[in-house]
Amino acid sequence: MDRFIQLALSGIANGAIFALVALGFVLIYKSSDVINFAQGELLLIGAYLTYAMVEQFGLWWPAGVVLAVVLAAVAGVLIEQLVLRPMIGEPAISVIMVTIGLSSLLRAIVGAIWGVTPRPAPQFLPTDTVTILGANVGVDRIWAFGLAITLFVILTLFFRYSRDGIAMRAVADDQQAALSMGISVKKVWAVAWAIAAITAAVGGILLMSIFGGVSGTIARVGLIVFPVVILGGLDSIPGAIIGGLIIGLLQSFAGGYLPPEWGVGEVVPFIILLFILLVRPYGLFGQRIIERV
Amino acid sequence: MQSGTFHTTYASDVSLRPYWPQRMRIVLVLVAVLIFPWFADRYWLNLANTIAIAAIGAIGLNILVGYTGQISIGHGGFLAVGAYTAGLLAVHLGTPMWLTIPIASFFTAAVGAFFGLPSLRLKGLYLAIATLASQEIIIWLLTHGKLLGIGESLSLPRATNNLFGLPMEWLGNNDFAFYWVCLAFLILTVIFVSNLFRTRTGRAFVAIRDQDIAAQVIGVDLFRYKLLAFATSSFFAGLAGALTAHYRGVISWERFTIETSILYLAMIIIGGLGSVSGSIYGAAFMILLPAFLSNMARTLSGVVPDINSYLPYIQQGAFGLAIILFLIFEPEGIVKMWRNVKDYFRLWPFSY
Amino acid sequence: MHRWKRTFGWWMVMALVATMLAACGGGGTGGGGGASSEPIKIGAIFDLTGATADVGTPYARGQIAFIDWKNEQGGINGRRLQLVSEDYAYQVPRAEELYTQFVTQDKVLVFSGWGTGDTEALRPKITEDKIPFISASYSATLANPAETPYNFLVAPTYSDQLIIAMKWAIDDWKAKGNSGMPKFAYLINDSPFGRSPLADGTAFATSQGIDTPLEVPSPRGATDLTPQLTQIRDYGANYIFLQNVSSPAALAIKNAKSLGYDVQFVCLNWCANEILIKQAGADAEGVVGVVPFNHEAEGGKIALDYARQKNIDYGGADSTFVQGWTALSILVAGIERTLADGKELTGENIKNTLETMGAIDTKGVTLPVQFSSTDHAGVKSTRMFRVENGRWVAITDFISAR
Repeated sequence: MDRFIQLALSGIANGAIFALVALGFVLIYKSSDVINFAQGELLLIGAYLTYAMVEQFGLWWPAGVVLAVVLAAVAGVLIEQLVLRPMIGEPAISVIMVTIGLSSLLRAIVGAIWGVTPRPAPQFLPTDTVTILGANVGVDRIWAFGLAITLFVILTLFFRYSRDGIAMRAVADDQQAALSMGISVKKVWAVAWAIAAITAAVGGILLMSIFGGVSGTIARVGLIVFPVVILGGLDSIPGAIIGGLIIGLLQSFAGGYLPPEWGVGEVVPFIILLFILLVRPYGLFGQRIIERV
Repeated sequence: MQSGTFHTTYASDVSLRPYWPQRMRIVLVLVAVLIFPWFADRYWLNLANTIAIAAIGAIGLNILVGYTGQISIGHGGFLAVGAYTAGLLAVHLGTPMWLTIPIASFFTAAVGAFFGLPSLRLKGLYLAIATLASQEIIIWLLTHGKLLGIGESLSLPRATNNLFGLPMEWLGNNDFAFYWVCLAFLILTVIFVSNLFRTRTGRAFVAIRDQDIAAQVIGVDLFRYKLLAFATSSFFAGLAGALTAHYRGVISWERFTIETSILYLAMIIIGGLGSVSGSIYGAAFMILLPAFLSNMARTLSGVVPDINSYLPYIQQGAFGLAIILFLIFEPEGIVKMWRNVKDYFRLWPFSY
Repeated sequence: MHRWKRTFGWWMVMALVATMLAACGGGGTGGGGGASSEPIKIGAIFDLTGATADVGTPYARGQIAFIDWKNEQGGINGRRLQLVSEDYAYQVPRAEELYTQFVTQDKVLVFSGWGTGDTEALRPKITEDKIPFISASYSATLANPAETPYNFLVAPTYSDQLIIAMKWAIDDWKAKGNSGMPKFAYLINDSPFGRSPLADGTAFATSQGIDTPLEVPSPRGATDLTPQLTQIRDYGANYIFLQNVSSPAALAIKNAKSLGYDVQFVCLNWCANEILIKQAGADAEGVVGVVPFNHEAEGGKIALDYARQKNIDYGGADSTFVQGWTALSILVAGIERTLADGKELTGENIKNTLETMGAIDTKGVTLPVQFSSTDHAGVKSTRMFRVENGRWVAITDFISAR
């Protein structure tokens, strides 16, 4: 029972991080129909910018974090303008490949500027543990959970009640109609990428705390995003949260209960993925796309 | 130069290369390709073989992605299946090359058809993710391959590199001998695939890409043809993998990761989707790019002294940048650029 | 936009033509190492941007620094050493291309590889081409000259490292006043690299009366190893042996602390480095590791001083820098002795020299390295280190595996 509670709590805590990473992805897809394979690299940029602001420039950490997040948003908008804008109307495979190319380019730029050796995490990040219900959970993961829920609430309210949020949903639904209603599609996309970069920056900062340093490993977490968003539905924000929590729990229980020699922890999310795709191709909460000839 | 398309027989209408300039070009290319190995040193032969094998794999991927419109990020996994099938047959049964290659190719085709089953339910991105999952699962099987007797790597016995009993050494050193084998398979692949798209099956594939619902309405059996597309594509992946296994002599899972799948996708996108020659151009471009950059860095290191320490990042970034630039400026790939060059000369002094 | 597209098209055509020309012209740089004033060429491939770049980069810097230092010391009898190297990003096909390029066109005499994948892939080629080869892959299969006559191991194999670590663990258990035998567990990288030493390690452990250790792979890219650690905790392991690189090892150590699980971690050489300390922070205190290359010895100090003097940035990974430096120095010692013996510089002669020259001194960084014609495992003993006050400090004398 002890093990069960520990695994459950760890699973939820990890799932919160996956959800955070997936949120940015869903945002971009929801508003511009772009599948962003470079989400992991956005995490990386957020983490390295924070490291640079706090450790290399020695700013007071709240100021450093805010500045890093703002710069990350600027980077997101720049990427959208330079790389994604010319891709309007191109087939899905081209857009996917462009983001793949982007991920390679971003990683090279980060490596060239900061080098590839891991740097120690900035000091302001939480490192202690708390005990809940007899199980130990790191404070950083509690922060991740809290931030994920907060962002979820903010974004849901944003999409439902604010003008810009509704505009984004309109653009995602039917670009032509939105344009004809006077919505600036360009502005919507820029905002979407900016918000995605911001959530990615926050995720990157938390990952710095978890890994104990800033290095290329942070970008690899980006691959986790796919099982999560497919499970939750590509264009659903609650789906990203629930998908993240489910994948986190599944990984935790698989790693904790299955005989370790099987070594299935790595491959469990992908098997789940295939299964879900065959049963519910649009994920748990995704919208069914109706195709017309 | 022709001034229009005038066919007077059905045969010339459906032929692959009806005009004499096209035929001349093919003859010239063949001559160049046949003369090349006699003058090339080992490094260039090695590169040529790598390009040839990659081209076979890329043509396979193009069948699936370019002609049938099914996005697949799992090509690395199928290459691995081909390589390890050939490898295991050679190691455990001592099967020679001329048997392992066909067996591996057909087996990989079957595996490909199996992993292509999701394509019946999924499209676009969802299918891409499903193929990504299949890639990870195949690699997982290989890294946990104790059952199959796969340790850190698989070494193929040299003796299995023989053609119908004649050992490869008779043809010369390894790179030279394999040049002819790879070239032969590449030519066969090109002929087969070019003709595939003149047949009913090929047209069915293209119909599925363009409008699969309409295709179904007019009677194209989606189930059968989608699986056939995956099978054919994987056949060539298996062929390329098996050739790699015999050529290199040692294979390990690190050759067939998701980065490999992405590299092949980049090859066909940069080369040109839906084109056999595009696959070859794309394969050549992606393989020569790092070598080109390092040569440039060597020449420039006099002018810009620090360039060598940044070279790795330049190479990594150039890969991404090449994809991005091609997609923004020339989405139809190198093959379109070549067509533009040919058109320029054909239409000069007019511009269209 | 269309004009941009067309101009871009022409630029690309010209670039492609230039590629062909440059690639044709760029080959064939310089002749071999025959003439007596020609530089001696050494080939090397590094991982500077790939999956293992975090340790690949300091290793590479160490090797490059050694060659520069050796040249400043006058080279070998006045002949310069030239390192022909490039990044291969842990991609095996690129490693093969670079190897062929360096051997065919640059005519290198010896080669320094890096990872298991490329070392395995190049094994048949170096045997055919007769190129003595060292690498950073310490797999036991590379030590047998009957199978791989040109591979040389400059550190204890992973199997030996595990056995040495287990020996230390048994002594430590007894020294703490415990009776009976401890329980062991492995937390490994989920790949053939991770599994490489386990069979030999388990054989040793069972021969000492220890239960078969629990084998737990840690998924690549995991953000939390708590599930794996709970299994190990419930199994009751007292010592966890980590065969992994630093990032996942640091994660395991931090997670164990979070979990409140009091266990002794023992790292094999790829996580026993400064990067682990940087990432695990205070939690790394007390972690024990196998550090085959002692950066505090005289040889290590020479290397680190040189790095400081030339402002070489190796990311603070002292032990990995010294590892690269020392590994290449062993290979170069073989070249030096071949020339001193008056023999022609060929791969085969260098190999024979390495096998017959007796002990190679590394100024304390390792025990003297000795190869023989029946055994290419040059080093079979190493010291155990522990993290104390944020640094790796030696805690034992040299322990041998056999």
